[in-house]
Amino acid sequence: MKKNNLIKLTLLLVAAFMLSLPVQALAGKVYKLGLSLAITGPTSDAGHPYSQGVDDYFKFVNDTKMLGDDTIDCTIRDDQYKTDKTKQNFEDFLDQGIVFYLNYSTGSTLALKKDFEEEKMPVIPASFHAGNLIDSHYIFLPIASYSAQAIGLAEYVVKNHKGKTPKVAMFIHPSAFGRGPVEDLQKAVAAGLDMEIVEVVEHGKNLDNTAMLKRLVNKGVQYVISQTVQSPVATMLKDATSLGLKANSFGEEGKLTFLGCHYTGGNDLVALAGPAAENFYWTTSYIITNEPSPGATEQLALAKRYNRGEKAANSHNYANGMMVAQVATEVIKRTKAKGKEITKENLYDELQNMNGDNAFFPGTTVGPVTYSKTDHAGVDSLQLYVVKNGAFQSADKPFIPEYTSKIK
Amino acid sequence: MSANRWLATGNYFTSYREEQRIFFTSLDKTAMLLFILALFAWPLFFHVGNKYMLVVDNILVAVIAVMGLNLVTGFAGLISIGHAAFVGIGAYTIASFASVLGANHILLTHAWPLMIFIAGCMGALFGALVGLPALRLKHLYLAIATLSFQMIFQWVINFMNFFNQGQTISIDRVVWFTGQVSRREHYLFWYYAILVVIVITGFAVRNLLRTRYGRCLVAVRDNDRAADAMGMHPGLTKVYAFGLAGFLAGVAGALHAFLYRGVGIESFTLHHSINYLAMAIVGGLGTLNGSFWGPFVIQVLDLQVERLSEWAGAHLTFAANLATALKPLSFGLVIVLFLMFEPRGIANWWRITRSYVKLWPFRY
Repeated sequence: MKKNNLIKLTLLLVAAFMLSLPVQALAGKVYKLGLSLAITGPTSDAGHPYSQGVDDYFKFVNDTKMLGDDTIDCTIRDDQYKTDKTKQNFEDFLDQGIVFYLNYSTGSTLALKKDFEEEKMPVIPASFHAGNLIDSHYIFLPIASYSAQAIGLAEYVVKNHKGKTPKVAMFIHPSAFGRGPVEDLQKAVAAGLDMEIVEVVEHGKNLDNTAMLKRLVNKGVQYVISQTVQSPVATMLKDATSLGLKANSFGEEGKLTFLGCHYTGGNDLVALAGPAAENFYWTTSYIITNEPSPGATEQLALAKRYNRGEKAANSHNYANGMMVAQVATEVIKRTKAKGKEITKENLYDELQNMNGDNAFFPGTTVGPVTYSKTDHAGVDSLQLYVVKNGAFQSADKPFIPEYTSKIK
Repeated sequence: MSANRWLATGNYFTSYREEQRIFFTSLDKTAMLLFILALFAWPLFFHVGNKYMLVVDNILVAVIAVMGLNLVTGFAGLISIGHAAFVGIGAYTIASFASVLGANHILLTHAWPLMIFIAGCMGALFGALVGLPALRLKHLYLAIATLSFQMIFQWVINFMNFFNQGQTISIDRVVWFTGQVSRREHYLFWYYAILVVIVITGFAVRNLLRTRYGRCLVAVRDNDRAADAMGMHPGLTKVYAFGLAGFLAGVAGALHAFLYRGVGIESFTLHHSINYLAMAIVGGLGTLNGSFWGPFVIQVLDLQVERLSEWAGAHLTFAANLATALKPLSFGLVIVLFLMFEPRGIANWWRITRSYVKLWPFRY
């Protein structure tokens, strides 16, 4: 009896083994990707929804078999906004054999630039710092740089300002992230953009901006262009409102009109600043879910599918994460379609072919994603939004800043 | 002295010279030798990924920095809350050479041991300068003075274009006898380089503590007036304590710069100074082996909490802020618990373990 059981068991195991063989043979390939970002710690309010956008989109790709039997395995690691940790994570990803890397902060992108070059690793960071592209062949910005955004806002000021040369102040984060666009905006002014940069303020952790705001008004400043994150902008807007210095309409004389680049705006700003956010002008290349569009529908559906809350679903940072995942997926898809192996070298080449008829329309952005050997900034178009009745809405049509090419 | 040099039991000394021996028994000496050999040999037998090799290298760099902090705070009793700034001085010495001469200048790529020494000297110079207020200041007031130095350092680096306003200044790969150290062997190479520095500085500090200069530090810490009355120079002792700490910090900073192939301000902030202090406290202030335990325990704890935070962030999405708070919470908790229940740090557990082994099998 015992012997019979043993034989049965052996046969069963052999059968199971035989059955598993074809399954293994049929299983698709797994493409390893890595993302290191601040899920906790400083800037995690942006990093957390960003990671969810990336995670959800890759899950969607695998669940809907967008790549056939092949799947994407993107390891997401928290670096707490620390370059040392990002380096550790990147080394870990390399050990895992990644073919594409998604990075986050400006500081770590600049610090790891040489590593990316040595590894020949295509990288899309969440930082749009123009300096990322200097002396780099492998970094691709997802959208227009902070410099292009600041120049775009400045062009809007010049175009819509009534009266003499507009006086502008810049309110920036005390880091490369904040300082990045200052020099380029100064170059644009030198190249003929008719405005005067009166002061560049590097904010600290001030809880009150009364002195700064009064000083700016006394100097005749009418516009403040911000390149920082939401919380200092919210504090500034609240202070300006309580002091009665905030313009009720664009360019109101004797008052301040506030404008900001990508990371200053979004729903989080409205939540932080409340009614003080009214009339804040914000530019980014991403669509917003307040306004119906196929991209917005797709974004909301994705967030719903993976049980994300309202906040994440409507976040432009969620759209940001989703978009970089869309680009990575698309480039894998195109490389596969050409019958090439999915390697970092082939993905890099394919990414550089993403232009002209091959431009990619992810839907989550206001324009197509285009890359070439000489252009590593993805979406060139920008959209201007303004807060009206407690929500952002389009203030104009998508545009491409003119002076960005003039100062090159 | 015991008739048998291998046995600890029955040890007694007949001269001060004997009491000051680095190793009391041949067993101690052999164990240490084998331990050092093991440290050099293990990477040859076990493959460790670059991520963990970087963590190990980080621990070793912190050991050198904490050794310096232990000299000034542990042995000389002078609180320093600006130690990361001294480490930064060393790193920015290397970065300055890279900025002026170019990241791939022969001095940096070939003469890197000399550069590490120069960085140490710069650290010592700044250490001695910051130590000058110690002639007049004590306790909390001195802590504030060192804190000021930390703030000044950060401000200068953050705003000066020469230092790239705190953003990374790159440094090229170094060259060894086998050629340029490649990416694959980078972390292993620096593991050995840092280990050699640790062995040298470890024995140097141990030796220093046997000399009159080392004992001066302890005497000044315990009672500077009594030390003065005994013919020591408390002022000079305090300044050179800061100088020595600065030297070791500078060396650690230079090694950090070469290890990361770049220098950025975010590695030398007040947070890092407090981290070094925590390592010294947890390891055991005023003990040499505490300088080894502290960095090891804090960095391993850091890794584990990081994993826990990651898990909490992924599974407890409603409590993302909790995940953010986990690290500072656990870090603070460890320091408080050590201060409350084991102020002498892990070094004391090591001492108890050694005492037990020394007496074994006899209890008395």
